[in-house]
Amino acid sequence: MPIAPLDNPLWPEFSDSCAEPPLSAPPRARDALAPAVEAMVWRADQLGSSTSSVLSSGFAELDAQLPGGGWPCGALTEILTAQFSILEWRLLAPSLRPLCESGKWAHRPSIIVIGPAQAPHPPGLRHEGIDERQLIWIQAETPAERLWATEQLLKSNAFGALVAWLPQVRHEQIRRLQVLSAQCKAPVFLVRPITAASESSAAPLRVLARVDPDWCLQVDILKRKGPPLDETLQLSSVPAGLQSVITARLRQPSLLFDLVSDHSIQREAIHHAVGRAAVSAQTDRFTPH
Amino acid sequence: MLWAALLLAPKPTDSPPIEPRTEPRSEPTLEATQRAVATWALQFTPRVSLAVDAVLMEVLASTRLFGGKRALRDRVWTQGQELGVVQLGWGPTSLAALALARAGIENGFKKPLQTMLDALPMGTLSAVAPHHLSLAHIGCRTLGDIRALPRGGLSRRFDKHLLLALDQAYGLQPEVHEWVTAPEQFQEKLELMARVESAPALLFGARRLLLQMAGWLAARHCGVSAFTLRWAHDSLRAKAAGVGGELTLRTAEPTRDIEHLGRLLAEHLARTELLAAVGELELVALEVQRLECASGSLFMASDAAHPGESSASLQQVLERVAARLGPQRVLRPVVRADHRLDAMCQWHASQTPPAAPSAAPSVAQSVAKGTAKKTNPCTHLPQPTFVLNEPLKLVVRSNRPCFQGPLQLLAGPQRIEGGWWDREGDGNGVSEDGAPSRQEVRDYWVALSRHAGLLWVFQTRLSDSLGGTVRAESGPMGPSADCAGSAWFLHGHFG
Repeated sequence: MPIAPLDNPLWPEFSDSCAEPPLSAPPRARDALAPAVEAMVWRADQLGSSTSSVLSSGFAELDAQLPGGGWPCGALTEILTAQFSILEWRLLAPSLRPLCESGKWAHRPSIIVIGPAQAPHPPGLRHEGIDERQLIWIQAETPAERLWATEQLLKSNAFGALVAWLPQVRHEQIRRLQVLSAQCKAPVFLVRPITAASESSAAPLRVLARVDPDWCLQVDILKRKGPPLDETLQLSSVPAGLQSVITARLRQPSLLFDLVSDHSIQREAIHHAVGRAAVSAQTDRFTPH
Repeated sequence: MLWAALLLAPKPTDSPPIEPRTEPRSEPTLEATQRAVATWALQFTPRVSLAVDAVLMEVLASTRLFGGKRALRDRVWTQGQELGVVQLGWGPTSLAALALARAGIENGFKKPLQTMLDALPMGTLSAVAPHHLSLAHIGCRTLGDIRALPRGGLSRRFDKHLLLALDQAYGLQPEVHEWVTAPEQFQEKLELMARVESAPALLFGARRLLLQMAGWLAARHCGVSAFTLRWAHDSLRAKAAGVGGELTLRTAEPTRDIEHLGRLLAEHLARTELLAAVGELELVALEVQRLECASGSLFMASDAAHPGESSASLQQVLERVAARLGPQRVLRPVVRADHRLDAMCQWHASQTPPAAPSAAPSVAQSVAKGTAKKTNPCTHLPQPTFVLNEPLKLVVRSNRPCFQGPLQLLAGPQRIEGGWWDREGDGNGVSEDGAPSRQEVRDYWVALSRHAGLLWVFQTRLSDSLGGTVRAESGPMGPSADCAGSAWFLHGHFG
């Protein structure tokens, strides 16, 4: 292959990029590249732009940090959590909601959950905007069953979103799933325990999520196509069914916890001193109105 | 005209084809194979006829449907091989195609027909066989030699069939065929080549039968939604083994996709144990429904994704998953109008169609409308998104339920009281007066745990909890009531 001549527009682009500040400074007219070429050149200090489509996560702060501006379609997304079934729907439901709202019902894509730790509860999911008629629950128990079912569905490429709980999975199995997911048109979420954070993984996007008592989800992006993200994202997330019952007092439940820990010692003492009458008075105090 | 000859028996040699020491079993086998191939070939064209040792079909009108001549030829050849086709021959007339196939030449369109046929040995035409010896004696070797003889003498010395067959092969006279028709019912038997000891190995034989069934279904424009595979043990069997066994498969939607049916059968056969070696298989189509095929694209590359297509393949993959894991483990929810958390939602095997008749009225309405509007919540009160199978009893420390640390009650109580009408055993249609009812009296709260997030917990009297019989004296409960006899349970997560 002949060496590209110096007047090729690609070369000044490469040499200039070191001097230019990242992310800013729109490219000069001289360096303007064809969009197709632009999409292929990814500088490591930039947030990668996904060539495949993405599904907006529904959180503006998160979208801003995800390559392409949303959960990637046709690639694995790992969600690491300390415990299963404490935040999965809270994190994913805003992105799945559009799947349940557009088009005719018969043509809407299915949302498939494989091996969740606990049974999904459709009345609660309706609050989140997820239609139960699009939901399919595959009760896979053993790690082999979970992997097999996930693989079969990835091969079929006939779903709107796939959420698989994989508590035990090796990195070569993840790699296999990643290769299979490349031909999918839909996002694929793998929910894994937090211990997997130290292991390597072939998934191009890895997200560590925690619950914050103050109606928030804390999200760390462990791996993405782009520079590592140091800060923890605070995503405001109130379960849709609870919105109507939140009172002013409950805006910051973490304060209540401090109250509890302060009083717990005193209350123990009261309990010993005066017995049951005091206890019932105590419990009254916790009734929110 | 585009004729294909599917040759079944080994190629006839120059010696007369019928040998005196023919094995008694080979005759019915050839007939059975011929019938099988003819049934299968009906999917390509309705113009299928039988020859002595071959099946003939005319496919000119079908080439576009199957993606061109090359694609059609490849499909016929790969599937035909599995059914016992040994040689293909293509030609403008049926006899020419057959003669070419017998001579081992596949493509009869390379050169002009006359040139191709003239070079063939004369044994390739069935009408020559009665006169083979006398023709050989006068020095004829090829079809061209016979044609070189004067026509008048030929028709006088030999019968008129020879001349007619020659003219028909060369396209000078029209051909007359008796078309094969698809039988009303599909019930085919297959004698296995060897005794089969393990169930998964039956798949090879079953696949041949499935191919035939797919052809039969295509010819009738139908899909199968239930079929039975029966097997008969051979005579050397233990008495306990019985005569044979059978396996009935049902699919949610009628299909004739052989790959899907084959995989489904494989999953079921993998879990089947044979009691004795199997000698014969039989496939019966039990329920056949009319199947409307998607119209083919005008252009050859038809990769456009149809929404219906993707849902069909989802149904197929779910059937396959259900075949391995068990149908009760691939589930779709149906929401019920009930206040009790356990009874709010029932999970049904996904084999049943998505819009089940037992769905809640609001659901049924929106289905009837065709376009469901925005998903309406069942209730405006909080509902968790994950539910525990069994409520988990919580430790109570200093009058405060604990789950990974003390819980902070955020909102509540929501009193759920009901279910006296629902007695255990109702599901089976057996309702006894003595059966405990599923009455529940629970006060649900939204609780917050520092580590486990938002929880759905309830407080109930111990004697009433978990479906116990309600006592008449059960009074009002709640945090202000007497706490001694009550307990806290975790029932769900707002996850």
